[in-house]
Amino acid sequence: MNWAIFSFLAYTAILIAIGIWSYRIVEKVPIEKYEKEFYAAGRGLGGIVVALIIAGGLASAGTFIAGPGMTYAYGYSWVLLNNFNFFSSLLFLGPIGIVVGIVARRVNAVTYLDIFKARYQSKAIIVILAFLVTVFLLPYMATQFVGAARVISQMTGMGYLVSLALGSLVVLVYCVLGGMRGTSLAILIQGVVITVGCIMLFIGTVNYAGGFKKSTEIIAAQNINFLSPTMGGEFSPFFTFSLACMIGYFVVGMPHAMLAALTYKNTRALKRGIWMGGILVLIWTICLCMSGVIGRAIIPNLAVPDEIAPWLAMHVMPEALGGIVLAGIVAGIQTTVAAMAIIITSSIAKNLLKELKPDLSPREAKLASRLTMGSCLTIAIGIALLQPELIQWIILFSIGGLEAATFGPILLGMFWKKGNHWGAIASICTGMIIYALANTIIPQLRLWGAHPSFLAVITSIIVYVIVSLVTPKPSDEIVRTFWGKLKKT
Amino acid sequence: MKFIEDPRIKIARKTFALSWIYFTIYLLVIMGCSYFLGIKPYLMGLPRWVAIGNILVPIVFILALVFVIEKFIPDVPLTDDEDSENKE
Repeated sequence: MNWAIFSFLAYTAILIAIGIWSYRIVEKVPIEKYEKEFYAAGRGLGGIVVALIIAGGLASAGTFIAGPGMTYAYGYSWVLLNNFNFFSSLLFLGPIGIVVGIVARRVNAVTYLDIFKARYQSKAIIVILAFLVTVFLLPYMATQFVGAARVISQMTGMGYLVSLALGSLVVLVYCVLGGMRGTSLAILIQGVVITVGCIMLFIGTVNYAGGFKKSTEIIAAQNINFLSPTMGGEFSPFFTFSLACMIGYFVVGMPHAMLAALTYKNTRALKRGIWMGGILVLIWTICLCMSGVIGRAIIPNLAVPDEIAPWLAMHVMPEALGGIVLAGIVAGIQTTVAAMAIIITSSIAKNLLKELKPDLSPREAKLASRLTMGSCLTIAIGIALLQPELIQWIILFSIGGLEAATFGPILLGMFWKKGNHWGAIASICTGMIIYALANTIIPQLRLWGAHPSFLAVITSIIVYVIVSLVTPKPSDEIVRTFWGKLKKT
Repeated sequence: MKFIEDPRIKIARKTFALSWIYFTIYLLVIMGCSYFLGIKPYLMGLPRWVAIGNILVPIVFILALVFVIEKFIPDVPLTDDEDSENKE
């Protein structure tokens, strides 16, 4: 057994221990408080965990594998495109964190769809969103498993199936056994491993390349466009702007980011979550993306650009440290999968099932949570067995689809009193139709080369406003619950 | 029953505005630096627009974010219960 495998197995063993330990905590909770504990960790998470949930949840294989892969392929232009990630925690918790925090406590919401249910009081919206969340997040989860398996396989020499099992089954253990409690404990360990791994990879790569100046000169000699912010005109400023919208302003539409808003303890934790999240994503993104570009000065002819991060981990640093980088990359992916697993499970087992079977007992709900969680992760692992080639496109497609469906109903729903369930349904449907058309038969809808989600989100907002204005206002009860001052008990 | 707006909602709106304004300023600065600074002369061995626009500017904005968030977003209670508010 080499040192890389040993360090990675040690990390995996810690995660399994966390799963078992958190299972004991969750099992001690009275059955009537089980859902609040399983889905929202008792709503008592501090700033650093909130920061890690948002940062780790939104920074996926797209950041840890495809990020350096894209900078390797497109030079510094893709570093610019990745720099809009840094403010994801600000742009999620800033706009809706306080409102969700207040309303979640008023209506005892513990899941993403509980908030929609309280705001729109519509069974149709719950059913549509549960379906869309599952449809978009399951393949997204599968791509994360594929990315993790490829990295583990490449770095340890183990086969794809064994690597897939190692990278994915551990997530299944701590998510199914410990729910959000297990996830939040694991994410603390993973946050440290990710940060240490990214910094080590960056320092190792820069040293190996002989410093910034030497690497820049070598890259310039290969192709001067690698030093250009547009890759010689390949990425227009408007395309850059549309991606800034997608991973910046529109991030409110990402369901797994809602976990942080539902679980933070108080506004002090919220504020720390915002700026700590920014610092973490800055460190991860700059270290990984810069390593990807500088890696081109070390090895200019890698056949698969996405393999640059694991290649560097294996070649520019000692074996044992390479194992830590490997654990860091896989940890970054696992945090995303865990957040998604909680969201899908809560949408199906807590919201959809209760809409269909309102007399569900707490014991049945508990069983349903674990069975759904296990099934979702198993399906995602099953899809990962197909080994899809272009995971970055699936990731971008899923993010765009989720934002096109939910951005308007979430953001306007939290601040505009006239927004109603008719507006929300029309907005979700319009966003989905425009997004589907732009991705298939009418590519002209990608205005000025923008990402298809751009027009879909803008149109869905307009439709939300128009339909809400011409249909009845929401009930006084909804208005009081979301924006009214309630009598103190 | 007459509707009285919860004063915390005003703070939530301000926080929303603050977040989007802050990101918009960042977006303008980073895109301005990236498209107008040019590649040479190199700075710290990196293309000029990368060193300033993609390393120094983000670090400054992230560090300033700590101050902006702690200074401009007040601590507010999240529950409607008076005792809980005091504990927040």
